[in-house]
Amino acid sequence: MSENGLISHTALGFEFILESYGVRVGIKASSRELLNKAEQTATKALLGKLEIIDFAEVDHSFSIFEDPAGTIFLDLNGERITNDSVEQRFFRFFDSFLRITIAEHARGRVFIHAGVVGWRDKAVVIPANSFRGKTTVVAELVRNGAEYYSDEYAILDSDGLVHAFPRDLTMRYFDGEVRERAVAPQSVGGKIGSKPIPIGMVLLTEYAENAVWNPQKLTVGQGIIEMIPHTIPRRFNTEFSLKVLNRAVSDAIILKSPRGEAADFAIEILNFFDNYLNLARIT
Amino acid sequence: MNNSQGPIARKNGLVVQEVPDEVLVYDLETNKAHCLNQSAAMIWRSCDGKNSVSEIAKLVEEQAGGKVTEDFVWLAIDQLSENNLLEQQIAANFAGQSRREVIKKIGLASMVAIPVIASLVAPQSALAAQSCNCNNPGQCNTPPNAQCLSTTNCNGVGICAP
Repeated sequence: MSENGLISHTALGFEFILESYGVRVGIKASSRELLNKAEQTATKALLGKLEIIDFAEVDHSFSIFEDPAGTIFLDLNGERITNDSVEQRFFRFFDSFLRITIAEHARGRVFIHAGVVGWRDKAVVIPANSFRGKTTVVAELVRNGAEYYSDEYAILDSDGLVHAFPRDLTMRYFDGEVRERAVAPQSVGGKIGSKPIPIGMVLLTEYAENAVWNPQKLTVGQGIIEMIPHTIPRRFNTEFSLKVLNRAVSDAIILKSPRGEAADFAIEILNFFDNYLNLARIT
Repeated sequence: MNNSQGPIARKNGLVVQEVPDEVLVYDLETNKAHCLNQSAAMIWRSCDGKNSVSEIAKLVEEQAGGKVTEDFVWLAIDQLSENNLLEQQIAANFAGQSRREVIKKIGLASMVAIPVIASLVAPQSALAAQSCNCNNPGQCNTPPNAQCLSTTNCNGVGICAP
């Protein structure tokens, strides 16, 4: 390591380059073992939607290095991101960080941090931050027959269609400390959506104790500004992001309200959406 | 500012997207997103530095097809200025009335929708905005991670939570 604590690149003899969603990422490591773990982590993080390429100019370069005391360091483009002496926790963070790096710089796609299900060939998109009950609602919707698209990202193409990112549902529980476990969508009786679909409904909602779902209908513009904080490439590709958001939600109904328990909410939402779609078909 | 000087809409550092009946503006400097309703957008577009407030009122009146007063325009300018969407900050000239009084007065008299700008600040870091993952407690204490279950503890599995 150099004096400023950054990794000396001569120490990083192991390397691979991946391409995912049009972003080329180089990953260098100080040992074969770390590199293998990085590759496994990357494959899992991106649900296998990556290609290992032989040689290319990269958009972003990660460096992973372990010091003699066993602390693992992560740099991105020469800047220190983090370090950890617990390997599992280190790679858990790397998993998240890599995915967001791809999401932020993806070409031709706009990643929205959101839960997504498909219902009658339309997407129900639930943008929300972590710990706001997004996964719980998605799981309940899937349990009630909706197709599972994602509990993390609505991936929009340039036409505004939503593509699936069907990683296992991340359910949280408390076991002395908050933990997470991956739950296969099939285990809640769900079918995984595969084809790109247009957005039919956007739900801006968070769980609140004793809350009653009493939605306010937002205009397209109001809806988009509520979605912007969850839009990953908003800083790096603002113009494209806004255009795609506009296309994506221009025919959708956008509702905002706190909600109560997910199980009741899911049934109410699907009934409401059914009625809305039937009405839209008639008119 | 007096009526002989015209407000100028800011252009630099903004990304503008037209949506049906509204205009979205993303401020790259502040990470703030704004949604201008039709009235606010018409007034903003008329702020070319040449049009005075009374001239803007006339222009909007022609476009919107209803009576538009100078107070109406000032109401928009007040919000545009507050949200840094003008080249220069301008203090609204409500002739001694409060903004609330002006809104009430205009609301009762106008057939044209009152100019409204809705705004929201987006967290600068996408990572922090959507992940409560951590390697050390310091990462839980950064402002965007304040949404996590804990701002002081990075637990054993790497979540900002107890």
